[in-house]
Amino acid sequence: MNVKFLNPFVSSAHDILSLEMHEPVERGDLRLDHGSYQTDDVTVIISLVGAVDGTVFYSMSKEVAVGLASVLMGEKFDSLDRLAQSGVAELGNVITGQASMKLAEAGFESNISTPSLIIGKGATISTLEFPRLVVPLTTSIGSLTIHLALREGLQSNLKTPELEVPKVDFLQKGE
Amino acid sequence: MDAKLLNPFIQAAVEVLKAEVDTDVTRGEISMQKSSLTSDDITVLINLVGDVYGVVMYGMQKNTCLNLVSKIMGQEFTELNSLAQSGMAELGNVISGRATIRFSETGYKSNISTPTVLTGNGIEISTLDFPRIVVPLETQFGILTVHLALRTKNPGEPHNPDEFISLIKAPLSPKVS
Repeated sequence: MNVKFLNPFVSSAHDILSLEMHEPVERGDLRLDHGSYQTDDVTVIISLVGAVDGTVFYSMSKEVAVGLASVLMGEKFDSLDRLAQSGVAELGNVITGQASMKLAEAGFESNISTPSLIIGKGATISTLEFPRLVVPLTTSIGSLTIHLALREGLQSNLKTPELEVPKVDFLQKGE
Repeated sequence: MDAKLLNPFIQAAVEVLKAEVDTDVTRGEISMQKSSLTSDDITVLINLVGDVYGVVMYGMQKNTCLNLVSKIMGQEFTELNSLAQSGMAELGNVISGRATIRFSETGYKSNISTPTVLTGNGIEISTLDFPRIVVPLETQFGILTVHLALRTKNPGEPHNPDEFISLIKAPLSPKVS
Protein backbone atom coordinates (compact mmCIF):
# COMPACT_ATOMS: atom_id res chain seq x y z
CA MET A 1 0.00 0.00 0.00
CA ASN A 2 1.25 3.36 -1.01
CA VAL A 3 1.30 5.64 2.03
CA LYS A 4 0.94 8.79 -0.06
CA PHE A 5 -2.65 7.82 -0.75
CA LEU A 6 -3.39 8.10 2.94
CA ASN A 7 -3.49 11.84 3.48
CA PRO A 8 -6.33 12.66 1.06
CA PHE A 9 -8.55 10.18 2.86
CA VAL A 10 -7.63 11.26 6.35
CA SER A 11 -8.00 14.94 5.55
CA SER A 12 -11.33 14.43 3.74
CA ALA A 13 -12.71 12.33 6.57
CA HIS A 14 -11.48 14.88 9.07
CA ASP A 15 -12.96 17.85 7.18
CA ILE A 16 -16.32 16.25 6.57
CA LEU A 17 -16.76 14.80 10.05
CA SER A 18 -15.58 17.98 11.77
CA LEU A 19 -17.90 20.07 9.62
CA GLU A 20 -20.90 17.88 10.31
CA MET A 21 -20.28 17.31 13.98
CA HIS A 22 -18.98 20.78 14.82
CA GLU A 23 -16.06 19.36 16.73
CA PRO A 24 -12.56 18.13 15.99
CA VAL A 25 -11.92 14.53 15.09
CA GLU A 26 -8.87 12.74 16.42
CA ARG A 27 -6.76 10.27 14.59
CA GLY A 28 -5.42 7.21 16.38
CA ASP A 29 -2.34 5.14 15.62
CA LEU A 30 -1.90 3.95 12.06
CA ARG A 31 -1.11 0.34 11.36
CA LEU A 32 -0.56 -1.86 8.36
CA ASP A 33 -2.53 -5.12 8.29
CA HIS A 34 -1.63 -7.97 5.99
CA GLY A 35 -4.26 -10.42 7.07
CA SER A 36 -7.94 -10.26 6.33
CA TYR A 37 -10.29 -8.03 8.22
CA GLN A 38 -12.94 -9.25 10.67
CA THR A 39 -15.99 -7.11 10.15
CA ASP A 40 -17.40 -4.80 12.75
CA ASP A 41 -21.20 -4.34 12.86
CA VAL A 42 -21.29 -2.06 9.83
CA THR A 43 -18.83 -1.77 6.96
CA VAL A 44 -19.11 0.48 3.92
CA ILE A 45 -17.13 -0.81 0.93
CA ILE A 46 -16.18 1.45 -1.96
CA SER A 47 -13.73 0.66 -4.75
CA LEU A 48 -11.45 2.99 -6.64
CA VAL A 49 -10.63 2.24 -10.25
CA GLY A 50 -8.06 4.12 -12.28
CA ALA A 51 -4.69 5.57 -11.40
CA VAL A 52 -5.42 4.47 -7.85
CA ASP A 53 -6.82 0.97 -7.66
CA GLY A 54 -8.28 -0.92 -4.76
CA THR A 55 -10.84 -0.77 -2.00
CA VAL A 56 -11.68 1.46 0.93
CA PHE A 57 -13.70 0.27 3.93
CA TYR A 58 -15.28 2.38 6.62
CA SER A 59 -16.08 0.23 9.60
CA MET A 60 -17.92 1.05 12.79
CA SER A 61 -20.15 -0.37 15.48
CA LYS A 62 -23.90 -0.23 15.11
CA GLU A 63 -24.20 2.51 17.73
CA VAL A 64 -21.73 4.70 15.88
CA ALA A 65 -23.49 4.04 12.56
CA VAL A 66 -26.84 5.04 14.03
CA GLY A 67 -25.25 8.07 15.73
CA LEU A 68 -23.51 9.24 12.56
CA ALA A 69 -26.65 8.78 10.49
CA SER A 70 -28.58 10.86 13.03
CA VAL A 71 -26.03 13.67 12.86
CA LEU A 72 -25.72 13.60 9.08
CA MET A 73 -29.40 13.45 8.27
CA GLY A 74 -30.52 15.75 11.04
CA GLU A 75 -33.04 13.37 12.51
CA LYS A 76 -32.89 10.90 15.33
CA PHE A 77 -32.57 7.24 14.36
CA ASP A 78 -33.10 4.46 16.87
CA SER A 79 -32.10 1.60 14.64
CA LEU A 80 -30.10 1.07 11.49
CA ASP A 81 -33.08 1.12 9.16
CA ARG A 82 -32.85 1.61 5.41
CA LEU A 83 -32.62 5.36 5.60
CA ALA A 84 -29.94 5.26 8.27
CA GLN A 85 -28.04 2.71 6.18
CA SER A 86 -28.10 4.99 3.18
CA GLY A 87 -26.90 7.86 5.37
CA VAL A 88 -23.88 5.86 6.48
CA ALA A 89 -23.16 4.75 2.91
CA GLU A 90 -23.45 8.35 1.78
CA LEU A 91 -20.88 9.40 4.34
CA GLY A 92 -18.46 6.86 2.85
CA ASN A 93 -19.36 8.09 -0.60
CA VAL A 94 -18.70 11.73 0.21
CA ILE A 95 -15.39 11.08 2.01
CA THR A 96 -14.18 8.83 -0.81
CA GLY A 97 -15.39 11.28 -3.45
CA GLN A 98 -13.57 14.18 -1.90
CA ALA A 99 -10.43 12.08 -1.40
CA SER A 100 -10.53 11.00 -5.05
CA MET A 101 -10.75 14.64 -6.12
CA LYS A 102 -7.66 15.40 -4.08
CA LEU A 103 -5.92 12.42 -5.62
CA ALA A 104 -6.93 13.65 -9.08
CA GLU A 105 -5.44 17.07 -8.32
CA ALA A 106 -2.21 15.29 -7.49
CA GLY A 107 -2.28 13.49 -10.83
CA PHE A 108 -4.02 10.28 -9.83
CA GLU A 109 -7.32 10.27 -11.64
CA SER A 110 -9.70 7.55 -10.47
CA ASN A 111 -13.34 6.73 -10.46
CA ILE A 112 -15.12 5.61 -7.35
CA SER A 113 -17.75 2.90 -7.27
CA THR A 114 -21.15 2.93 -5.69
CA PRO A 115 -21.03 1.94 -2.03
CA SER A 116 -22.06 -1.44 -0.67
CA LEU A 117 -22.92 -1.93 2.95
CA ILE A 118 -22.04 -5.02 4.95
CA ILE A 119 -24.04 -5.51 8.10
CA GLY A 120 -23.04 -8.20 10.52
CA LYS A 121 -20.14 -8.76 12.80
CA GLY A 122 -17.51 -11.45 12.46
CA ALA A 123 -17.41 -12.05 8.72
CA THR A 124 -14.01 -11.96 7.10
CA ILE A 125 -13.19 -9.60 4.28
CA SER A 126 -10.07 -10.22 2.28
CA THR A 127 -8.49 -7.77 -0.09
CA LEU A 128 -6.21 -10.63 -1.20
CA GLU A 129 -2.65 -9.48 -1.82
CA PHE A 130 -3.42 -5.85 -0.97
CA PRO A 131 -2.26 -4.98 2.54
CA ARG A 132 -4.53 -2.57 4.39
CA LEU A 133 -3.55 0.68 6.01
CA VAL A 134 -5.82 1.07 9.03
CA VAL A 135 -6.68 4.53 10.35
CA PRO A 136 -8.83 4.83 13.48
CA LEU A 137 -10.70 8.11 13.89
CA THR A 138 -12.33 9.09 17.16
CA THR A 139 -15.37 11.30 17.42
CA SER A 140 -17.61 12.08 20.36
CA ILE A 141 -20.07 9.49 19.05
CA GLY A 142 -17.49 6.75 18.93
CA SER A 143 -14.82 5.50 16.60
CA LEU A 144 -14.82 5.03 12.88
CA THR A 145 -12.04 3.07 11.22
CA ILE A 146 -10.85 3.63 7.68
CA HIS A 147 -9.15 0.74 5.90
CA LEU A 148 -7.25 1.55 2.74
CA ALA A 149 -6.16 -1.24 0.42
CA LEU A 150 -4.92 0.81 -2.50
CA ARG A 151 -2.14 0.79 -5.03
CA GLU A 152 -1.18 2.61 -8.17
CA GLY A 153 -3.42 1.34 -10.91
CA LEU A 154 -2.44 -0.20 -14.17
CA GLN A 155 -4.84 2.07 -16.03
CA SER A 156 -3.02 5.16 -14.88
CA ASN A 157 -1.84 7.77 -17.29
CA LEU A 158 0.66 9.22 -14.96
CA LYS A 159 1.86 12.77 -15.16
CA THR A 160 4.71 12.48 -12.68
CA PRO A 161 2.40 12.76 -9.70
CA GLU A 162 3.57 14.58 -6.62
CA LEU A 163 1.58 14.28 -3.47
CA GLU A 164 2.16 16.42 -0.46
CA VAL A 165 3.82 14.85 2.50
CA PRO A 166 1.33 14.84 5.38
CA LYS A 167 1.92 18.00 7.34
CA VAL A 168 -1.51 19.09 8.44
CA ASP A 169 -1.87 19.57 12.16
CA PHE A 170 -4.47 16.96 12.79
CA LEU A 171 -2.11 14.31 11.47
CA GLN A 172 -0.24 14.75 14.72
CA LYS A 173 -1.93 12.32 16.95
CA GLY A 174 -4.03 13.90 19.65
CA GLU A 175 -3.96 17.59 20.18
CA MET B 1 -32.04 -2.78 -13.22
CA ASP B 2 -31.93 -3.09 -16.95
CA ALA B 3 -32.32 -6.73 -18.00
CA LYS B 4 -30.06 -6.24 -21.01
CA LEU B 5 -27.17 -6.15 -18.56
CA LEU B 6 -27.93 -9.68 -17.54
CA ASN B 7 -27.06 -11.66 -20.65
CA PRO B 8 -23.44 -10.56 -20.98
CA PHE B 9 -22.81 -11.80 -17.45
CA ILE B 10 -24.54 -15.11 -17.95
CA GLN B 11 -22.79 -15.70 -21.26
CA ALA B 12 -19.45 -14.75 -19.75
CA ALA B 13 -20.02 -17.03 -16.77
CA VAL B 14 -21.02 -19.94 -18.98
CA GLU B 15 -18.00 -19.50 -21.25
CA VAL B 16 -15.52 -19.01 -18.45
CA LEU B 17 -16.80 -21.97 -16.43
CA LYS B 18 -16.67 -24.13 -19.55
CA ALA B 19 -13.12 -23.05 -20.32
CA GLU B 20 -11.74 -23.10 -16.79
CA VAL B 21 -13.44 -26.05 -15.16
CA ASP B 22 -15.03 -27.78 -18.15
CA THR B 23 -18.55 -27.85 -16.76
CA ASP B 24 -21.88 -27.30 -18.40
CA VAL B 25 -24.02 -24.69 -16.76
CA THR B 26 -27.76 -24.77 -16.21
CA ARG B 27 -29.35 -21.46 -15.42
CA GLY B 28 -31.83 -21.52 -12.58
CA GLU B 29 -34.78 -19.23 -12.10
CA ILE B 30 -33.98 -15.52 -12.27
CA SER B 31 -35.37 -13.34 -9.53
CA MET B 32 -35.31 -9.66 -8.68
CA GLN B 33 -34.59 -8.79 -5.07
CA LYS B 34 -34.85 -5.46 -3.36
CA SER B 35 -33.81 -6.55 0.10
CA SER B 36 -30.25 -7.06 1.24
CA LEU B 37 -28.40 -10.16 0.21
CA THR B 38 -27.75 -12.62 3.01
CA SER B 39 -24.29 -13.93 2.33
CA ASP B 40 -23.46 -17.51 1.52
CA ASP B 41 -20.20 -19.05 2.78
CA ILE B 42 -18.13 -17.08 0.31
CA THR B 43 -18.97 -14.00 -1.73
CA VAL B 44 -16.73 -12.34 -4.30
CA LEU B 45 -17.63 -8.68 -4.72
CA ILE B 46 -16.55 -6.68 -7.76
CA ASN B 47 -17.57 -3.11 -8.52
CA LEU B 48 -18.10 -1.67 -11.97
CA VAL B 49 -17.48 1.97 -12.75
CA GLY B 50 -18.19 3.72 -16.01
CA ASP B 51 -21.18 3.65 -18.33
CA VAL B 52 -22.35 0.51 -16.59
CA TYR B 53 -21.90 0.92 -12.85
CA GLY B 54 -22.78 -0.85 -9.66
CA VAL B 55 -21.73 -4.09 -8.09
CA VAL B 56 -21.68 -7.74 -9.07
CA MET B 57 -21.38 -10.48 -6.48
CA TYR B 58 -20.70 -14.18 -6.87
CA GLY B 59 -21.94 -16.22 -3.95
CA MET B 60 -21.48 -19.91 -3.25
CA GLN B 61 -21.14 -22.51 -0.55
CA LYS B 62 -17.79 -23.55 0.75
CA ASN B 63 -17.82 -26.93 -0.99
CA THR B 64 -18.67 -25.38 -4.33
CA CYS B 65 -15.82 -22.96 -3.95
CA LEU B 66 -13.36 -25.67 -2.96
CA ASN B 67 -14.45 -27.87 -5.88
CA LEU B 68 -14.11 -25.05 -8.39
CA VAL B 69 -10.77 -23.85 -7.09
CA SER B 70 -9.33 -27.38 -6.87
CA LYS B 71 -10.25 -27.90 -10.51
CA ILE B 72 -8.91 -24.51 -11.68
CA MET B 73 -5.64 -24.73 -9.81
CA GLY B 74 -5.12 -28.45 -10.35
CA GLN B 75 -4.54 -29.18 -6.68
CA GLU B 76 -6.83 -30.35 -3.93
CA PHE B 77 -8.13 -27.66 -1.57
CA THR B 78 -9.82 -28.67 1.68
CA GLU B 79 -10.11 -25.27 3.28
CA LEU B 80 -10.80 -21.73 2.21
CA ASN B 81 -7.27 -20.49 2.62
CA SER B 82 -5.92 -17.37 1.00
CA LEU B 83 -4.84 -19.20 -2.15
CA ALA B 84 -8.31 -20.69 -2.57
CA GLN B 85 -9.85 -17.27 -2.01
CA SER B 86 -7.62 -15.63 -4.55
CA GLY B 87 -8.45 -18.38 -7.05
CA MET B 88 -12.14 -17.71 -6.58
CA ALA B 89 -11.59 -13.95 -6.80
CA GLU B 90 -9.75 -14.50 -10.06
CA LEU B 91 -12.67 -16.47 -11.45
CA GLY B 92 -15.00 -13.58 -10.58
CA ASN B 93 -12.53 -11.21 -12.13
CA VAL B 94 -12.36 -13.11 -15.40
CA ILE B 95 -16.15 -13.46 -15.68
CA SER B 96 -16.72 -9.77 -14.89
CA GLY B 97 -13.95 -8.67 -17.22
CA ARG B 98 -15.37 -10.67 -20.06
CA ALA B 99 -18.84 -9.25 -19.41
CA THR B 100 -17.51 -5.69 -19.55
CA ILE B 101 -15.85 -6.47 -22.88
CA ARG B 102 -19.29 -7.41 -24.17
CA PHE B 103 -20.71 -4.16 -22.81
CA SER B 104 -18.01 -2.19 -24.55
CA GLU B 105 -18.92 -3.85 -27.85
CA THR B 106 -22.33 -2.22 -27.48
CA GLY B 107 -20.80 1.17 -26.69
CA TYR B 108 -20.95 1.03 -22.90
CA LYS B 109 -17.46 1.35 -21.51
CA SER B 110 -16.79 0.36 -17.95
CA ASN B 111 -13.98 -0.84 -15.77
CA ILE B 112 -13.99 -3.38 -13.00
CA SER B 113 -12.49 -2.96 -9.57
CA THR B 114 -10.18 -5.32 -7.79
CA PRO B 115 -12.17 -8.11 -6.16
CA THR B 116 -13.00 -8.26 -2.47
CA VAL B 117 -13.72 -11.62 -0.89
CA LEU B 118 -16.21 -11.92 1.94
CA THR B 119 -16.32 -15.14 3.92
CA GLY B 120 -18.79 -16.02 6.63
CA ASN B 121 -22.43 -16.76 6.04
CA GLY B 122 -25.48 -14.96 7.32
CA ILE B 123 -24.02 -11.49 6.88
CA GLU B 124 -26.20 -8.90 5.19
CA ILE B 125 -24.84 -7.14 2.12
CA SER B 126 -26.90 -4.16 1.09
CA THR B 127 -26.65 -2.52 -2.31
CA LEU B 128 -28.90 0.25 -0.94
CA ASP B 129 -31.29 1.49 -3.57
CA PHE B 130 -29.92 -0.77 -6.31
CA PRO B 131 -32.23 -3.77 -6.74
CA ARG B 132 -30.43 -7.00 -7.54
CA ILE B 133 -31.04 -9.51 -10.27
CA VAL B 134 -30.19 -12.93 -8.90
CA VAL B 135 -29.21 -15.76 -11.22
CA PRO B 136 -28.32 -19.20 -9.86
CA LEU B 137 -25.98 -21.12 -12.15
CA GLU B 138 -25.91 -24.85 -11.57
CA THR B 139 -22.68 -26.62 -12.37
CA GLN B 140 -21.45 -30.11 -11.64
CA PHE B 141 -19.42 -28.57 -8.81
CA GLY B 142 -22.36 -26.89 -7.11
CA ILE B 143 -24.37 -23.71 -7.50
CA LEU B 144 -22.74 -20.36 -8.23
CA THR B 145 -25.17 -17.52 -7.66
CA VAL B 146 -24.60 -14.29 -9.57
CA HIS B 147 -26.05 -11.09 -8.08
CA LEU B 148 -26.14 -8.05 -10.32
CA ALA B 149 -26.94 -4.59 -9.00
CA LEU B 150 -26.10 -2.49 -12.01
CA ARG B 151 -27.25 0.64 -13.77
CA THR B 152 -26.33 2.35 -16.97
CA LYS B 153 -25.87 5.91 -18.02
CA ASN B 154 -25.46 7.25 -21.50
CA PRO B 155 -22.06 6.42 -22.98
CA GLY B 156 -19.56 9.21 -22.49
CA GLU B 157 -21.37 11.01 -19.68
CA PRO B 158 -19.13 11.83 -16.75
CA HIS B 159 -18.79 9.02 -14.30
CA ASN B 160 -19.99 10.80 -11.24
CA PRO B 161 -23.66 11.60 -11.47
CA ASP B 162 -24.56 15.23 -10.84
CA GLU B 163 -26.24 14.59 -7.56
CA PHE B 164 -23.00 13.13 -6.26
CA ILE B 165 -20.96 16.22 -7.15
CA SER B 166 -23.56 18.52 -5.66
CA LEU B 167 -23.50 16.58 -2.45
CA ILE B 168 -19.86 17.28 -2.00
CA LYS B 169 -20.13 20.97 -2.75
CA ALA B 170 -23.27 21.56 -0.74
CA PRO B 171 -23.32 20.99 3.00
CA LEU B 172 -23.77 17.31 3.59
CA SER B 173 -27.25 17.61 4.98
CA PRO B 174 -29.37 20.69 5.28
CA LYS B 175 -30.35 20.75 8.90
CA VAL B 176 -33.73 22.03 9.89
CA SER B 177 -33.32 24.50 12.69
